[in-house]
Amino acid sequence: MRRTLPLFLTFVVGMFPIFAFFVPHRAVSDLNQQLDTWLVIVAAFALPLGVVNLVGSNITKIKRKQKGWPYSIVLLAGLSVMAFYGIMGGEQGFHPKFQYMFVNMVSPLQATMFSLLAFYVASAAYRAFRARNIEATVLLAAAIIVMLGRIPFGDMLTGGRMTPLSEWIMTKPNAAAQRGIIIGAALGAASMQIRVILGIERTYLGKGQE
Amino acid sequence: MDIQKLLYIDRRIIYLLVAIGALIPIIRPIGLPVVPTAPVKGLFNKIDTLGPDDAVMISFDYGPSSEPELNPMAAAILRHLFIRKVRVLVVAIFPLGGVSMAIQQLERVSQEFDLQYGVDYVNLGYKDGGQAPMKAMGVSIHDVFPADVDGRPTDEMSLIQQVVNYDDIDVVISLATGVIGEWWANLINAQFGVDVAVGCTAVSAPKYYAYLRSGQMIGLLGGLKGASEYEKLLIDRYPEARELYGKPEEAKKSAITGMDVQSIVHVIIIAFIIFGNTMYFALRRSQRR
Amino acid sequence: MRLWYAFIMIVVCFNVWFGSDALAVEIEDFAAQDTPSDGGQSIDLRWVATGRGKVFILRSTARDSAFSVVGEALASDGAYTDFGVEEGVNYYYRLGWMSGGDTLQTHTVGPAVAKSNWFRKYRSNALVTTALMFFLVITFVNRAKKGHPLYIRRIAGLSSIDEAVGRATEMGKKILYIPGILSLSEIQTIASLSILKHIAKLTAIYGTDIEVPNKDPLVFSAARETVREAYLEAGKPDQYREEMVTYLTYDQFAYAASVTAKMVREKPATNFLIGSFFAESLILAETGQAVGAIQIAGTADIPQLPFFVTACDYTLLGEELFAASAYLSHEPVLLGSIKAQDVMKAIIMVVVGIGIVTYALGSEFIKNLLLTR
Repeated sequence: MRRTLPLFLTFVVGMFPIFAFFVPHRAVSDLNQQLDTWLVIVAAFALPLGVVNLVGSNITKIKRKQKGWPYSIVLLAGLSVMAFYGIMGGEQGFHPKFQYMFVNMVSPLQATMFSLLAFYVASAAYRAFRARNIEATVLLAAAIIVMLGRIPFGDMLTGGRMTPLSEWIMTKPNAAAQRGIIIGAALGAASMQIRVILGIERTYLGKGQE
Repeated sequence: MDIQKLLYIDRRIIYLLVAIGALIPIIRPIGLPVVPTAPVKGLFNKIDTLGPDDAVMISFDYGPSSEPELNPMAAAILRHLFIRKVRVLVVAIFPLGGVSMAIQQLERVSQEFDLQYGVDYVNLGYKDGGQAPMKAMGVSIHDVFPADVDGRPTDEMSLIQQVVNYDDIDVVISLATGVIGEWWANLINAQFGVDVAVGCTAVSAPKYYAYLRSGQMIGLLGGLKGASEYEKLLIDRYPEARELYGKPEEAKKSAITGMDVQSIVHVIIIAFIIFGNTMYFALRRSQRR
Repeated sequence: MRLWYAFIMIVVCFNVWFGSDALAVEIEDFAAQDTPSDGGQSIDLRWVATGRGKVFILRSTARDSAFSVVGEALASDGAYTDFGVEEGVNYYYRLGWMSGGDTLQTHTVGPAVAKSNWFRKYRSNALVTTALMFFLVITFVNRAKKGHPLYIRRIAGLSSIDEAVGRATEMGKKILYIPGILSLSEIQTIASLSILKHIAKLTAIYGTDIEVPNKDPLVFSAARETVREAYLEAGKPDQYREEMVTYLTYDQFAYAASVTAKMVREKPATNFLIGSFFAESLILAETGQAVGAIQIAGTADIPQLPFFVTACDYTLLGEELFAASAYLSHEPVLLGSIKAQDVMKAIIMVVVGIGIVTYALGSEFIKNLLLTR
């Protein structure tokens, strides 16, 4: 039973959205919407598990005075204050203090992390774009054309030819290759989903293969 | 000088030069020219045909991390719509900050125009569930958003009474990070036939070209460059936009100004790539000897 | 509500009268019927119009009285879908328009009843494709069960997993396994958990330390179960510790900050970045590269592939990620489904090829055949 029930549930819950994709009947679409709602509820129940783990491991860190323990205090303080005002703000979470912290603390911190990408792209590009062979040279040339095509300098240097050339690379070879990968990945995903639904793939359940 | 050392240059030197390259145009803007491309014109021209009888939905599907790239896009598109008096419905599907972005941008842009809330535009707020509310809006927007972002009932708003579902919407514009923009293109466009345009971060732009080419999207604004092109089209076409973007505080926030930074950093990266390759070939030659 | 309809009526009349569209309209063949292939939410109206202008849609539940305006359309549209109906109720419709100051209406049509349908006909092509995919998977799995040999090409990223785990063991350092940032509803995450199980078994056998930091709480619970099970199957349940699988935060960039900080502080020997990734991909991979870890990445999120290819030693590209569990286990049943996927891909290539040729020759048959909503 311990082995069969999860597989049976996976089959039913996995097949139903496929069924609902083809069957528009209200009874089916209502039940399908219910499934979506259950997913949100299940995820909401899992969140406290994560929070308990996070709080537990950081309290242990503080108790044992492990390396970097003062940061754990900052983390727990941030978590409690943000959660408190989030709950006080109701469904949309708009307590003025929550909004203040979001705009003035979360927002700039996230933007900072995202902008780190500019630095990482520079160092990764420096390392990766080497004309080692023909393929790498083509890649290098395409990268430089697209980069120049994305900035006004490119057109200034080439009398307006760089933007159309860069757009050509993006809309023709790039779009074609993207489609190829999308089709392959989508088929891979579909095949994996069918394996999961039919109970052929069980590794994620922690029960091994058939 | 040791070629090997130059080839494997300390990455902190690269970071430092990128930081300097980003700082200089912020302190002293250069004002480089911007040339609009076809994917951006696709959306601009579509909105240019719309008027007071039409309605557009903007979905704020990004958080603060993508703010620098997507906020100028949001502002430019909202200004274009409000100049043309197109009715605007704003929603947010992205959980972490989408609705905050929507509130900020609407507050910023709506005060520049003489607009009536609930008639000319409405902010419906955030709805959890990703694809589920997106699909449900195909039947009834009111059922998905019975109340707006501030909890006001939407059935009292004339805009929601008139715009029932996607049939009454001319374009859905998703300002997206991550996967939500793709859902609009391959799910909502495919299932409901409504025109979709996406404004995304530069890093995700390549994947959208496939949807653009297949006709699942009518326009694409990729990163700061896309936003700057839209601003350029708007400024060239509408004197009121020129006046708006002429104000120093708005000019500072504009994508056209931001493009100076992007341009300098791109040039620095290209210079490093050329330098790296020169060193690479120099090393190969010295090894052959 | 009635007041509102009266207001619309006045506005419509005003618009039509004073607007440029106030030209004569004639309506013929007006009909109302249930929208086919839907869940009983709407009724389709069709008409043939001559002349320009707006028409307003009038609806009632009685044949001869109590008609009210429920919408408007351009006469030239020739169609309107009324979504404001209830299933199973009889509705009657009229079209109204202004002509020379008079309000004109068509005759009443109906009753039309919105019904829930049992099949979306316009998705017949998708149904055939889905059925074909199921059929191929089941057929090839059965063939594999009967012992038909199946070949799968070498996937460098997966073949190097042993080497990567071995390196961490030799160096006495930990392995960091990052299962992407999306939840269990994403199939890439399920594929990632399958690979995690294989790696956790290896770390159990070699006695290497592994850490799995999580962004999604559901994945956190599933990953904990997966690692525990792997240690149990490897016969080393006593070596399993709860701290191996941790929860960090639901925020994408806070997660990236925390994981990169771990990389810098603890300098893991090996990083696995397998699952669904977005903008944090390069931040994670480039930091891992900077601290000298051997890195194996895998994702079907196409925009992130170039970053992983640049910063990691091996990358599983798109479908290779989904083939991983079959490849690592060499289980014939799983390999059978990979074969089915290949056959399906070949079919798609042939159909697309024929489509390109026929479209170039002026036929839209294949294009229309493949169109789906």
